[in-house]
Amino acid sequence: MPDSAPSETVSLQGNHACALGALAAGCRFFAGYPITPSSEIAERMSVELPRVDGVFIQMEDEIASMGAILGASMGGMKAMTATSGPGFSLKQENLGYAAGAEIPCVIANVMRGGPSTGLPTRPAQADVMQARWGTHGDHPIVVITPDSVPEIYMQTIRAFNLSEQLRVPVVMLYDEALGHLIEQVRVSDGGDIEIANRKWAADPGPEFSPYAAGEDLIPEMVRPGDGFRTHTTGLTHAENGFPTQDPDVVEQYMHRILDKLEIHKGLIESYETIDTNDADYLVVAFGITARAARRAIKQAHEQGIRVGMFRPITLWPFPVEAFESIIDGKRGVLVAEMNAGQLITEIERYRPAECRIEGLNRIDGETITPRQILNRIQELADRE
Amino acid sequence: MSEADKQFNIHDYLREYLFPHFLCPGCGHGIALRALLWAIDELDIDKDRLAFVSGIGCSGRLGAYIDANTFHVTHGRPLAFATGLKLARPDLEVIVITGDGDCLAIGGNHLIHACRRNLNITCMMLNNEVYGMTGGQVSPTTSDDRFTTTTPYGNHEPVFDACALAEAAGAGLVGREITLQTPSLKDVLKQGLAHPGFSFIEVMSDCTEVFGRKNDLGSSAEMVLTQKASVRPDFLENAVDQPFRPHQIKTGILASNDRPEYAESYRNHIDAMKRDHGHA
Amino acid sequence: MPDFELRISGSGGQGILLAGRILADALGHESLNVAQSQSYEPTSRGGLSRADLVVSDAEVDYPLASDLDYLVILDDIAATASNDLLKQNSLVLVDSLLSELCEMDGYEVCYLPISESARGLGDIRSTNMVALGALTSLAGFCSQDNLLAAVARVAPAKLLDPATRAIRQGYAITEPQS
Repeated sequence: MPDSAPSETVSLQGNHACALGALAAGCRFFAGYPITPSSEIAERMSVELPRVDGVFIQMEDEIASMGAILGASMGGMKAMTATSGPGFSLKQENLGYAAGAEIPCVIANVMRGGPSTGLPTRPAQADVMQARWGTHGDHPIVVITPDSVPEIYMQTIRAFNLSEQLRVPVVMLYDEALGHLIEQVRVSDGGDIEIANRKWAADPGPEFSPYAAGEDLIPEMVRPGDGFRTHTTGLTHAENGFPTQDPDVVEQYMHRILDKLEIHKGLIESYETIDTNDADYLVVAFGITARAARRAIKQAHEQGIRVGMFRPITLWPFPVEAFESIIDGKRGVLVAEMNAGQLITEIERYRPAECRIEGLNRIDGETITPRQILNRIQELADRE
Repeated sequence: MSEADKQFNIHDYLREYLFPHFLCPGCGHGIALRALLWAIDELDIDKDRLAFVSGIGCSGRLGAYIDANTFHVTHGRPLAFATGLKLARPDLEVIVITGDGDCLAIGGNHLIHACRRNLNITCMMLNNEVYGMTGGQVSPTTSDDRFTTTTPYGNHEPVFDACALAEAAGAGLVGREITLQTPSLKDVLKQGLAHPGFSFIEVMSDCTEVFGRKNDLGSSAEMVLTQKASVRPDFLENAVDQPFRPHQIKTGILASNDRPEYAESYRNHIDAMKRDHGHA
Repeated sequence: MPDFELRISGSGGQGILLAGRILADALGHESLNVAQSQSYEPTSRGGLSRADLVVSDAEVDYPLASDLDYLVILDDIAATASNDLLKQNSLVLVDSLLSELCEMDGYEVCYLPISESARGLGDIRSTNMVALGALTSLAGFCSQDNLLAAVARVAPAKLLDPATRAIRQGYAITEPQS
C-alpha cells in the first residue's frame, strides 16, 4: 500500500489508480454511492482516506454524494466523487451548481453502456456529450480522458490541480475497460509531482468581493472562519455573491465563468499526436480506443500507409487549435469511438472541406479492436 | 420581556444592506428567523463559525439575509451539502434552513438519512403547507381539502408528519413549535443547537399571501391564532392520539435520544483502526 | 506488436484470476510490461472466468487480448469461448479431462493431466497452479524460481506451500516422458 512509501512501480487497476492519484493530489474527502463499474474507486478511498485523516462517506444516493463533496470543498477540503452513467445523470444537478458557484471538485465517470441501466459491466464511450452538456445552461467544465492506467493516475492529479486553480468541476472520463485494466504505475511519494492549490484570499477585509476577479478571471476563495462571511448561491450572482437579474451584471458573470476556461486553455488543453507530421490520414480516438489505434497505426505503417493519430487527453474544452493545425493537409480522418457518433460531430466542425471524414463506431458493449481500425484505415487509403 | 431578549439585537445578525427583503407581508418565516437568531445569540455562537445551508423555496432565501457563512444550494439538497461541510469542518456550527417541499418531498431521502446518521447539524424546517415561491402548489404537508394551484378541487393526499418521520429515522432531537409562541420557539431551537446529534425542528409557519388567500383563512393574525387553537394542550398529552384536527399540533421537544454522534463515532473507529494497525 | 498474449480460462472459483496475477507479477519482475484484464461479471458461483495478459518489452499498445499466443482451458465452460482469438500458431493447453470437449482443429493443442495432477497432490483446488507451472514450463516466460518468487509476493501465505508443490508438478507433467 503506497502510504508514505517512496515512489515505486506497482500493478494497479485503473480505478485504484484514480483513487491513489486523487490522494496524491491532496484529496481528503470522498462521498460516493455504489455503482458498477466505478465502485472500486470508492472502495479504495474507504481504505486510504482514514489513514491520512481524510473523510470517506457513502451517501444515501448519487445526488447526495455530489452535494456532500461540494459542502466539503467549500469547507476547504479537496473533494471528489465517482460514478458511472446512471449516477452521472443524477449528479448533473449539483455539477451545475459547482460550475455556477465555482466550487472545485472532481468527478470520475467510468463509462458503461447506456442508455438507462444499459450494460453495467461493459465498456462504452457514449458519455462524451453528456460530460460536456449534461447539466443545464451554458457552463464551464473540463473533461479529461486518459488512455492507460498510469495516465489515469497522473491525469487525476492534474484534474485536481485544474479544478482547484480554475474553480471549475473536472470530470475524469474513462471506460470500463480502462477502469478494470491492470497496468504498472509509478506511484509517487509526493516529491516529484506538482500540486496546485486554490487561490485563497490573503486577508479579506469588509470590502472583499468574493466573486470579483482580476485578469485571470478566477475569484479568490474564502473559507468559513477566515473572517469574511460569504454568500454562495446557485442563483446568478453579482461580484458581491448575492443574486442579481441586472442584465449587465448577469452578462458579465456569464462571460467571466465561460471565458476563464478560454484564457487558461494553455493550462487546460492536452493531447497526444503520433506520427501526424507526414501522414496522409488521421485517426482520432481517446481512451481504450486510442490504445487499439496505436497498434493499428503501427500495422498500417508496415503496409506503407501514412497514417497518424490525434488523441485528445483534455476532451473538453476540445483542443481546437492544435487539432486544426494537425488536420490541415490531411486527406482523410477516421474518428473511432465506442458510441453511435459523438466526438465526430466536434471533429466535423474543424475539418477542412477537402478532408474526407468517417466514423468507426461500436455500440455492442465490446471494445473497438486494432483490426477494425486497421481495416478502416485501409479502406480510407484504398478509396483514393 | 426577559433580560436576554433586551440584549438580543437582531440587527447584529442581518445583512440589512440587502433589504428590503423578499418575504410577503404576514409571512411566518421572518418570525422563525428571528427566533433562530435569538437562540444563536443566547448560545453566544461566533458568527464566523456559523454556517447556514438552505435549499430552494421561500425558506431557502432566508440564508442570504444572515450575516454568516451562507450557502444557498440546490433544491432539496441542503442536508447533503451540510453533511459534507460539517464532516470537513467539525469546528463550524452548521444549520440547515429548509421548507416542507425542500425537506420532505424532493429532499426526503436526505432527511431520513441525516436523521439516521445523527451528524451534529441543526435542521429547521419551515412548514407553511405550500410551495409558496412557485405560486402555491400542494406540498406533502398541505392539510386535508385545502385548495392550491395544483389541488383545484381540494387536497386529497395524506399529510406527512415530519416530526414522527424524523423521530422514527433516529434524529437525536425532534421538536416543533408555532411562530406565535416565539420565545418557546427560540427555546426549542436553542435545545436543538445545543444537542450534540442531529436536531430536527419543525416550525409551523404561515403563508398568508398565497395559501391563506386561496383558502380564505383570513389575515396573518387570524391564521396564527387558528394555529394556536390547534396546538394540543398539555392536558391532552396522554389522551388517545388524534393525528388530525382538532388539536393535532403537538409542540415542544417531542423526542430525543443519546445515540452516538456520526463524526465522533467515525473518528473513534479510525482511532481504533490506527491503534490496531499501527498507523500513528 | 505485443510480444505475446495469453489467456487462462476456466470456471469461476478455480482461481483463474490469482494465476493471472502471479504470472503478471513474475513477468513484471522480468522487466516486461504487462497489461492484465479479466472477466468482470461475478463468477464465484461458476460461469466463465478468464485472466488475460498482454506482454511486451516495449509499451503495451492495445492492452486487451485480441490474438492469443497461449490459451489455457481448465473447464468445459471455457472450451470454445476463446476460439475467435486464436491464431494458427497458438499454443492451447487443455486439461486432459476435457479433451473430448474441445474442438481445436488447426491449433497446436496440448492435453495435459492438469486437474488429475492436482487431485494427485491431494487438492483439486490447486489445478490453477499446476496449470500455471505447465504453461510457464512450455512457454519459457521466466524461470521456475522467478515464478515461485511471484507466488510468495502475490498469493496468500497459507497457499504458499501447496502452490509451490503444484507449480513444480505443473513443470513435471511437461517433461518429456522417458
